[in-house]
Amino acid sequence: MAFSKSITRIWNQFFFTGFSGESLGLLRMYIGIGLLFFHTYQFATVLSLNPVGAMYYYIEPIWYFRVLGIQYHIPALSFVIYAILMWATVTMILGKWTKTSILAVILCIFYLKGVRDSFSGDVHHRYIIPMQILFLFLLSKCGEVHSRDATHLRSQGEVQEWEASWPIKTMQLYVASFYFWSVIAKVQLAGWVWFSGEGQIQENLIQRSVRWGVTDEGDVVKNSISFALAQHPDIIQVISLLVLAFELGFPLILLVKSVKLRALFLAWVTLFHISTFVLLDVNFLLIPFVYLIFFDLVPIHQWLKTRFSQLIRGRPSLAN
Amino acid sequence: MSRTTVHFILVMYLFVVWGAVIFRIDRFPITWVPMYSNYYPSETISAKVWDKEKIANGLLVTHQDGSTSYVSSKDLNIPQPNFRRLYYERMFGSGPPKHHQGNRNLSPLNRWIRGLKENEPNFQADWDWRMCWSVNQTLEYQPTDPKFIIGAEADYQVRVYRKQDIMNQDVSKVRIKTIHAKIQWKDEWLPRWEHGLL
Repeated sequence: MAFSKSITRIWNQFFFTGFSGESLGLLRMYIGIGLLFFHTYQFATVLSLNPVGAMYYYIEPIWYFRVLGIQYHIPALSFVIYAILMWATVTMILGKWTKTSILAVILCIFYLKGVRDSFSGDVHHRYIIPMQILFLFLLSKCGEVHSRDATHLRSQGEVQEWEASWPIKTMQLYVASFYFWSVIAKVQLAGWVWFSGEGQIQENLIQRSVRWGVTDEGDVVKNSISFALAQHPDIIQVISLLVLAFELGFPLILLVKSVKLRALFLAWVTLFHISTFVLLDVNFLLIPFVYLIFFDLVPIHQWLKTRFSQLIRGRPSLAN
Repeated sequence: MSRTTVHFILVMYLFVVWGAVIFRIDRFPITWVPMYSNYYPSETISAKVWDKEKIANGLLVTHQDGSTSYVSSKDLNIPQPNFRRLYYERMFGSGPPKHHQGNRNLSPLNRWIRGLKENEPNFQADWDWRMCWSVNQTLEYQPTDPKFIIGAEADYQVRVYRKQDIMNQDVSKVRIKTIHAKIQWKDEWLPRWEHGLL
C-alpha cells in the first residue's frame, strides 16, 4: 500500500508539475519555428525533383503507403503538400486553429516522409521525436495560451499547471528514452563491441570518408579528418565511451533541477550531433531544436523580448 | 480533458512506445532502433567508392529489342541519394538497414509473434523483381514493348583495409576490388506485373 502510494506520488510529481500554461504556449511557438527549418532541410531532396517529371514506382513503400495502396509518386503533389505543411506550421506557431494546424502538420509529414523513404526503402528516424512532440501538442491545451485562438477562449479560464506539465514531461521522457533505447538496440544487435575503438565508429569513419573517392596517392578526396581519426582507435575508444555515457545517462536529465547543468549536458549532446554530421554525414544536425522541451521558455522569451525592444529603441530612425 | 483521462492516455502512450522496444517494432512513428546500431565485427573494413560519373549516367540497361541505354536519377525523377541506394545496394541484393536490423538476433518471443519459421527472416525482398518492375513502370514500358527493360547492370569499386594496418596508420596497404551486378527479367514475374508490390 505504501509502495503504491509512493509510486502515485512520484508519478503525479513528475507528470503534473513544473510548467505553466504560458510555458506550453511558448514551447508550441518555438518548436514550430524550429520545424520550419527542419521540414525544409528534411524534404529538400523531394523538392529538387521535376514536378511534372516521371511518376516513380516505389521499390519499398513505407508501411502506411502499403496499407493505403499507394505505389507511385506524384511529384506535383509533393510540392502542394509541402506548401500546406509550411502554411500549417505557421498557423500552428500563431496558434490559429491550433489543433487543426497540428493535425495538418502531422498528416503532411506522414505523406512527405513516406514519399522520401519509399524511393529506396531506407526509413529514416529523424522525424520520430518531432512527431511524438506534435502528437502530444495535439492532445494538449497548447493552443489556449500565446495564440490567436486564446482570444476566443478567454471565458474558459487559464491552463492549470497539471494540464500544461504532462505533455511537456511526456515529451522529455520520450526524448530521454529514445537515446537510452539506442544503447539497448546496439547491445542487442552487435554487443558491447559496438563501442570498442575498432567497432562501428571506426568502420563508419572509413566508409563515410572513402566513399567520396580516393586520389592516386591513397588520400581521400573529402572528409580527410574522418579518415585520419579512424587510424586512432584509442581516441575512438574514448569517443565511444562518451557516446555510451551520454546515451545511458540521458534519462538522468529528468532528475536534474539546475538549468545550467541541463544546458551543459544538452550542449554536449548537440556537439555529438554536430560531430556525427561533420565526420560521418549523419543528418541529425538540426534535431537539437527539440531540446527546448527541457527548459521553461517563459524567462527566455521575456529576455528575448526585452533585448528585441531595446534593439528597436536603440536603432536610429530613418529621418536622422 | 479530465485528469483521469490524462492518466489513461499516459499509460497507453507508455505502453505503446515501450511495447515497440520490447517487440522490436520499427514502423514510423514508433521505433526501437536507430539506423546505425548494427555492426558485424571483422578483421577488415570494406568501403565502397562512389563514382560520380557512373551515378550521373545511371544503370546500364538492356531493352527487349536488344538495344542498350542508361537510366539515371533524372529519368526516374528521384533524388540522387535515393538513386545511389538503388545503384549501390538494391542492385546488389542488399536491403535497407531496417531489414538487416529487423532480421538480426530476433528473440524466440518476437519470432513466435510474427509467425516466423526456423531460419525464416523477418524481412526479405526480391530486389531483382522490384528493380525491374519499378524502373519499367516508371518509364511506362509494358512487357510487350520493344523498349521494355530486360536487364540492368551496375558496378563499383570497393577498398578493403585490414584493421591491423589502419591501427599502424598504414592505409597504403589496401586491396581494391570491382564488384559487378547484373539483374535480368524473368517471365515468371508476369502474373505479378499488374498488382506490383501490393
